[in-house]
Formats: sequence, C-alpha cells, structure tokens
Amino acid sequence: MMPRNCPHEKEIRELIESGQWPLAAAPELRAHVSACRACSDLALVSETFRQARAETLAEARLVSPGVLLWRAQLRRRNAAVERLTRPLLGAQIFALAVTLLAGVGFAAFEARHGVAWLTWLEQLPQGAGRWDNFFSASLAGSAFTWMVLFPFFATLVLLGGVAVYMVMDRR
Amino acid sequence: MENDAFAAFYERSARPLWAYLARVSTDPALAEDLMQESYVRFLCAAGAPSLADEGEAAARLYLFRIATNLLRDHWRRLRAASIEEIPEELFAVQGRFAQSDSQILLGPALDRMKPRERQLLWLAYAEGYSHREIAEVTGLAAASIRLLLFRSRRKIAGFLRAQAAPVGREP
Repeated sequence: MMPRNCPHEKEIRELIESGQWPLAAAPELRAHVSACRACSDLALVSETFRQARAETLAEARLVSPGVLLWRAQLRRRNAAVERLTRPLLGAQIFALAVTLLAGVGFAAFEARHGVAWLTWLEQLPQGAGRWDNFFSASLAGSAFTWMVLFPFFATLVLLGGVAVYMVMDRR
Repeated sequence: MENDAFAAFYERSARPLWAYLARVSTDPALAEDLMQESYVRFLCAAGAPSLADEGEAAARLYLFRIATNLLRDHWRRLRAASIEEIPEELFAVQGRFAQSDSQILLGPALDRMKPRERQLLWLAYAEGYSHREIAEVTGLAAASIRLLLFRSRRKIAGFLRAQAAPVGREP
C-alpha cells in the first residue's frame, strides 16, 4: 500500500487545526472529503484524536514540579558521589593486588630458601605428632619465620574479609 | 535550569506528555510513573536543550523522546520476562479513561493498534508534529514515517468506521 497524497489534505488539515472544520469549509470541499478516501480518513482521524487529546489532558494528575526538581537534584548528587568514590575503589583494589603479590612473593622466597613448616607440611600425611616436630624445628631453625608467618596469614584473612565486604557492598 | 523556568515549562508540557504516555501505553498509572521519570532524566541530562537558548519546542521534543525511550524499555522488559511472570492484569485493557463519546470510539480502536502505530498516530494527529519531528521523537527514519503513518491512519480509520457504523444505523 503506497501513500497517495491528495492536494486537498493540507487545506483540510488547516481547517481542522483551526477548529473550523466542517462548518467553515466550502461545500465543494465537504463533497470532496466524502468522496476521497485519503481526505475522509484524515478528517475522521484528526477530529477524533484532537477531541480525545482535549479530554485526556483534563484527566492528568500532576505532581508538584518541586518534587521532580528534588528527585533530579538527589539523582545528580548520587551520581556525583559515585563518580568520586570510583577512584577510591580503584585504589582499594590496587592495594589489595599489591598486598597479595607481596604475599605470593614472600611465600615463593620462603619456599626457595627452605623453611621448616614446608618440610613439616610434606611429612604431614605420614603420621601424627608432627606438630611438635614442626614447632620445635621452627623454634630451633628460625624463630623469625613464625614471627612473619602469623602476621602474613592474619593479613590475608583480614584482606579477604575486606574484599568480600566490598563485593557485597557494591551489589 | 532555573526552578521558575522549569515550573512554567512543566505546567505547559506535563499534560500533553501524560496524555501521550497514557494513550500509547493504555495504562494511566504507568503513564504517571514514566512521566515523572522523563522529567527527572530531562533535568539530569547534560545534553538536554536549554529553554533559554534552544526554546521550548526543542525541549518538548527532547522530553517526548525520553518518554518514548522509556516506553520502549518498558515493553522490552515485558517481552524479556517469562509469560508466567507477567501479571494477568497486564493482558487486559488497562485504560480507565472517562467514557466520553470520543473515548468510547477511539479507545477500542487504539487497543487494536500496535504500540508503534499508536505512537505515530498520537504524535501526528493529537500533537500535530511534523514527520521530521516524529522521526526525532521515535528514532525512526524520517523517510519511513510518511508510509507508516499512512498505513496506520488507514487502519484506524477502518476501525473507527466499523465501530461507528452500528450506532449510526440505530434510530
């Protein structure tokens, strides 16, 4: 179906828009509208929609513009806060990554130089009572190892908790 | 935007916007929500036309465009939801408009039209927008508006005549 324009459409549209249709229309134009499908469609649809619009406008229940201004202000503020906190989040993630990297580096260093607790871990399935051996070996081998290991694991647990909190908070 | 300027703009544009949303969505409550959201987004948008510089007509077109996008998002969400999740009331005609003559005639005819057709018809024949303005609001190509509008007009004119016919035959 291709649109077929009638030269009278513009004239009819103007009469409808000015509220003069059909009373102010020439009898020839009215006769044309009753015979022309495009023009009769235009007149019928335009009149119906304009009347429906006038009636629908009266039914609108509007909130105060102040409420909308307040909501918009709140949304802008939230967006600004989010923009500000984004770099902070990035810094937190960076700090976490650096800490984990340092931890992995430390573990690798310890493994390379051989520590008592690794030996103890390797021997763990072979029997009970290894804890005493480990404890005595650690104390005897290096008291410093214990002093470093405990804060290391404590930091890992703490940072893990922070990471979980951050993820939950973000959601 | 200054509060007074916005209040004046809101006073002039809110009812036509609500009427458009209510008629196209056939749901006055949804229209109210979408209208408020449209204004909040309009106020927050960095690229919104300024009333002082670009004029009220440009601002109004921008507002209608936001509302049209919100309507489209609403329909997309409905389509994405499983049919079991959609409340039964949504399948029923939701309009609760005053039952005037034009509403009795237009309401059922609009219900039989597709949402896109309702949009085009309302913008063209109730709001009196040109094809270029309709293209701007709906995001459709300006060249296709003429054909789509012609088809929609012919379709709804057929429905309107069919509904009016039995009434006309009564004594």
